[in-house]
Amino acid sequence: MDTVNFVIDNTILNPAVQRWMSVLFTIMMLSFLYRDNPLYKLGENTFLGISLGFGWVWSWNRIIVPYLFVPLKDSYLDFQPYDLTLVLWVIIGSTMFFRFSRNKGWIANYWFAFVFAYVAGYSIPISVQALFIQGANMMKPLLEYPTFFEISKWFVIIFGTFAGLMYFFFSKPHRGLLGKTARIGILILMINFGASFGATVMGRIALFIGRAQVLADNIVPSIIITLSITIYLFIYFKYIKKEPGLDDELMH
Amino acid sequence: MEKFIYTLKKLDKRWIYLLIFLSCIIPFWYPDMFPQEFSTSKETQRVYDIIDGLNEGDAIFIDWAFDPTLQAELLPMAEQTVKQALDKKIRVFIYYPLLTGISLGENLLENIKKEPGYENIENGVDYIHLGYLPIGVDMVLFSMYSDFKATFGKEGKIFEGIKTFGDIKYLISYAGSAHPETYISLQPRFGFRMGAGVTAVVGPDMVPFLQTGQLDGMLFGLKGAAEYENLRIKAGAEKKFNQKANAGMASLNLSHIIMFLFIGLGNLVYFYERKYKK
Repeated sequence: MDTVNFVIDNTILNPAVQRWMSVLFTIMMLSFLYRDNPLYKLGENTFLGISLGFGWVWSWNRIIVPYLFVPLKDSYLDFQPYDLTLVLWVIIGSTMFFRFSRNKGWIANYWFAFVFAYVAGYSIPISVQALFIQGANMMKPLLEYPTFFEISKWFVIIFGTFAGLMYFFFSKPHRGLLGKTARIGILILMINFGASFGATVMGRIALFIGRAQVLADNIVPSIIITLSITIYLFIYFKYIKKEPGLDDELMH
Repeated sequence: MEKFIYTLKKLDKRWIYLLIFLSCIIPFWYPDMFPQEFSTSKETQRVYDIIDGLNEGDAIFIDWAFDPTLQAELLPMAEQTVKQALDKKIRVFIYYPLLTGISLGENLLENIKKEPGYENIENGVDYIHLGYLPIGVDMVLFSMYSDFKATFGKEGKIFEGIKTFGDIKYLISYAGSAHPETYISLQPRFGFRMGAGVTAVVGPDMVPFLQTGQLDGMLFGLKGAAEYENLRIKAGAEKKFNQKANAGMASLNLSHIIMFLFIGLGNLVYFYERKYKK
């Protein structure tokens, strides 16, 4: 056991190895931007495998053991009448496994019916309530401080919503007044999509900046690994893989 | 001109990737070459002012709804909020609605403890990780309003005087999804105050809640995090330990300039071709 701990401490848990691994996997994943290649696939599958393994172990340790096994053990050692509720929910929850059976799959429907009924009964009134509050609060400034900005904002909200809806109204040809309204509607939709797209780009670049910082902070590993991967990609695409795959054609 | 347009049209997109890559990485090596100043948005200022206005011994509740995939944007925000609260001796309760976010939060607090001024903070006294509960956030909230401590089954001096969630002064939700809306939908029932720190992708969806006052304030993407860092640095926090988001802002600006440039060139090619074809 000591040998295993020694090996783990000096490999996976060693800060220097962790830095190199971080840089290596970052560049392996970025290599996809050149072309789909085995290093990218290796990195992708490693990530998925680790995520699933990590998630499963954490779920086991932090959910199943403390909220199922420990209470079941306690109820076995010292049974109280309210422990029956736990057993009941374990049984009802376990019926979900009947989805694997073709003949008995209907048994799981009772559990799903319960979940959907709960969600509908609980969430719908709360959501509607919140929506009313949102609508009422949005009207307040218009009534309390009817400034030019508030009035114009309301004009954009009401007319913009109406114009946007008119764009999707296909029962009449988009000509005349309807055509002009629909044109304004699509402009408003495009402004909305543009704002969302701009924010999305900023978010994605921010994610990449996190990786760029890792590369910038570890300059020696970054250069060595980039050169090694570049040489590998050159050899791979020059001598090993000659036929372009479907992915390559779609990407480039 | 035609040759230039043809070259642009046939430009391999991998050159654009390379330029974006360089624009992100070069500012880290030469930070002085890219001076950047930006104003603080009122949404960020409001979150800062609310936490700044709390008294010693008050408590805030951090809803840590993100995992390492979103740490570039949200971790600097959470770090600054936690530090600001600890500086003011405000108790910090951190709840994790995502199982995979727990280690991120635990690591953050361990790293904060290594910084000067925070060596003596203690888990269970100054802050506490409330952990994950395998039930919906709405049910957690109902339970917290019934019995705060029993909801999480944790012990510590930090729980003194906190019987229900009503004793918590401020809730701030960090998320990369519409997750804060769960709290917003329950606001009419319980009447708590809250703010949010969200990724740039989710930001536009949350803006209406700012206009209606359902959110007191909001930190928006990496820029929001950088603004918060600047506010804390102005208030006396040491720059060396509080510039993770600021370090990325020069890269963000430069990469956006490159993108604007290519969007402009793309439009030039499009309009030139349209005119030429006619």
